Amino acid sequence: MLQRRNRRKMAATAVAAALALTAAACGGDDSSGEDGGAVTIWMSLDQSVVDGIQKQMDIAAEEAGIEVNIERVDGIDKLIKTKIQAGDVPDIALLPQPGVVASVVELGAAFPLDDVLDTGALESSMVAGALDAGMVDDQLYGLLTSMNVKSLIFYPKKAFEEAGYPQPESLDELTELAEQIKSDGGTPWCLTMESGDATGWVATDWMEDLVMRYGGVDAYNDWVSHDLPFTDPVVKEAAAYFEGVALTEDNVLGGQQAITATPFTEAAKPMFDEGKPGCWLLKQGSFFVGPDFLPEDVFANLDEELGVMGFPPAEAGGENPVLGGGDLAVLMSDSEDAKTAMNLLATADIGKDAAPVSSFISPFKDFDASLYPSETTRTIANVAYDSTAFLFDGSDSMPAEVGAGSFWKEMTAWLNGDTDIDTALQNIDDSWPAS
Amino acid sequence: MLEKTLTAFITVLAGVSAALALYWVLNKISELLPEKYEERLKPWFYILPAYLAIAIFVIYPAVQTFIYSFKTKVGFPAESWTGFDNYTTLLASDAFRQTLLNTFLWILFVPAAVVILGLLVALLADRLPTKGENAVKTLIFMPMAISMVGAATVWGLVYDYRPPGRPQVGLLNGIVAAFGGDPIAWLQQNAFHFNSFLLMVMLLWMNVGFAMVLLSAAVKGVPSETLEAARIDGADERQVYVRVVLPQIKGTIVTVFITVLIGVMKVFDIVFVMTNGNFNTNIIGNEFYLQFFNNNNQGAAAAIAVMLMLAVIPIMIYQVRNFRAEEAAR
Repeated sequence: MLQRRNRRKMAATAVAAALALTAAACGGDDSSGEDGGAVTIWMSLDQSVVDGIQKQMDIAAEEAGIEVNIERVDGIDKLIKTKIQAGDVPDIALLPQPGVVASVVELGAAFPLDDVLDTGALESSMVAGALDAGMVDDQLYGLLTSMNVKSLIFYPKKAFEEAGYPQPESLDELTELAEQIKSDGGTPWCLTMESGDATGWVATDWMEDLVMRYGGVDAYNDWVSHDLPFTDPVVKEAAAYFEGVALTEDNVLGGQQAITATPFTEAAKPMFDEGKPGCWLLKQGSFFVGPDFLPEDVFANLDEELGVMGFPPAEAGGENPVLGGGDLAVLMSDSEDAKTAMNLLATADIGKDAAPVSSFISPFKDFDASLYPSETTRTIANVAYDSTAFLFDGSDSMPAEVGAGSFWKEMTAWLNGDTDIDTALQNIDDSWPAS
Repeated sequence: MLEKTLTAFITVLAGVSAALALYWVLNKISELLPEKYEERLKPWFYILPAYLAIAIFVIYPAVQTFIYSFKTKVGFPAESWTGFDNYTTLLASDAFRQTLLNTFLWILFVPAAVVILGLLVALLADRLPTKGENAVKTLIFMPMAISMVGAATVWGLVYDYRPPGRPQVGLLNGIVAAFGGDPIAWLQQNAFHFNSFLLMVMLLWMNVGFAMVLLSAAVKGVPSETLEAARIDGADERQVYVRVVLPQIKGTIVTVFITVLIGVMKVFDIVFVMTNGNFNTNIIGNEFYLQFFNNNNQGAAAAIAVMLMLAVIPIMIYQVRNFRAEEAAR
């Protein structure tokens, strides 16, 4: 009898579970959509950026005679696909990667912008290559609205200037600088990349920056789409330079084992050691200018303490592409109001209120740089404005098993000394899905 | 919030009443039958929903997984049959063979170590005064209550590494530094799979308490007459344990061993959180996750699951037989 009662309890639980699942599946929410002609824009940017953009948007929208509502949503890159399937989409969505834009286009949910925006004027007012980042099948679908920059080298400003080190103009000069730091008894590179289950992205950022420098924009794009294999001489040249940085004796604080073992968050701290910097150079993205990654007193006196410069081009004065990321505005409705709102987003002014209070960087070269909250942010913005091409993080656009899989893992294994670079590159190439 | 609470409440209520209604209907149906059949068939009617639930939630996914393991691009428009390709590609890859080797090391080492340590603690704690025994057991059982990810955070601080000259946050490197040594990147040391063993220690830490509780209960259940008889016959303490206690708790030992063994075969969180399989610490549970969620390669993930299933089935059969034999002997 006891057993029988237990069975009943079990079955009851199972039925309850089944019902709970059905209830969850049906319980979607039906907010947004058609609400009285107002244009809705979704974005996942920080609240301070959203507020700033809304403020400027309100002013511009009133002039244009439309109404625009900006909604902050979480994880729009995943959300947007489910919402498209549910038929519940905003008029404009700010998507964080070209790959996401492409998949939205593939789902037939986006409208091309070539005839909506004055692309000729944007070409000259935005950072070089900004429009290319939003191209899908030779049509413009994504408009770069905010950006971040990854091709940066941070250094301890005071000590660096005291030592009288020059700012390198080319990759060779960067190597010379590292040699000079070493001969002065210092350790040149702060290179740490442990990042939990995402360990490896620091190394893939390095590789992307170097591939675009040695191969140029076209080779970089071919490499991202696998028209250029990982075993190509250009990729090997890039890897060789990175090997020189990472695995040369005494080049990295803590030596080889420290690279993969130390959390990436710790990289900047030794630069501000009492007395002499523990290491001098750190290649990281603009997001690193934050209280999580810098010592408190450095963050409080950012402009005096932290120096930043662009990751140098291959040849001094030559092609100077920049690696970065950003949000691309995608038009998901062909109403006139939505098109008007899209044009309002395509102005430098839209970021006026967002820039002073956040890490927002405008992709417009004519943006009033005095609005940036610090000299550091201004320098970072200028690195992008002075570049010859702004290129999105390539590993994000590769298939996940490569871009967030084998590329990370093989780089990590190589830097940890478990495999050699040729094997690592061959393994990555082999892992590219056939299709 | 209110809406969600209400939904949850209604769901539970609807679920329970639906189950009640179902049994009421089944009962009615059986009562409609002639009395002879009613008695014979009623148990079956009552068991039916449970079996149905198992069929839907266990057997159907298992069969589906088996089918998927012979397909590629599952869930994509390009879904197609590939025969044994998923299996051959996996088994031909060097990385996957290392993954299998690591998993094998876990299987070899962890269950045996858990049983031995658990037994040791159980036997030794048994000789302490009650208060001491309780204190020791509580301490050793405590890790069992921590989630795997929580444990990983704790052990992350044990194995943490900072470059030489930096303040060492990690416990082990703190000790090394105190003796003037250079810090060691523990989880990166993969000579002889050393780092895999460091990860296994975490699972030991979590499971010894479980083994101890079961084994301790079993030890206490050994009739003291048998011990006395052995002692009167001149057995020393070692002989009492090995010849008298152990044979009497053999059933519990086997159960603990197999429970831990099956747990080890499925282990995932520890490796995922600590290294994500980097530095040659990958194991089959983590590889499954990577193939399924990261690589979107459901075919390969299914093939891994099938291999795991095939490996677990003999152990399950042994366990069920063992259990039956015990029941029969009782």
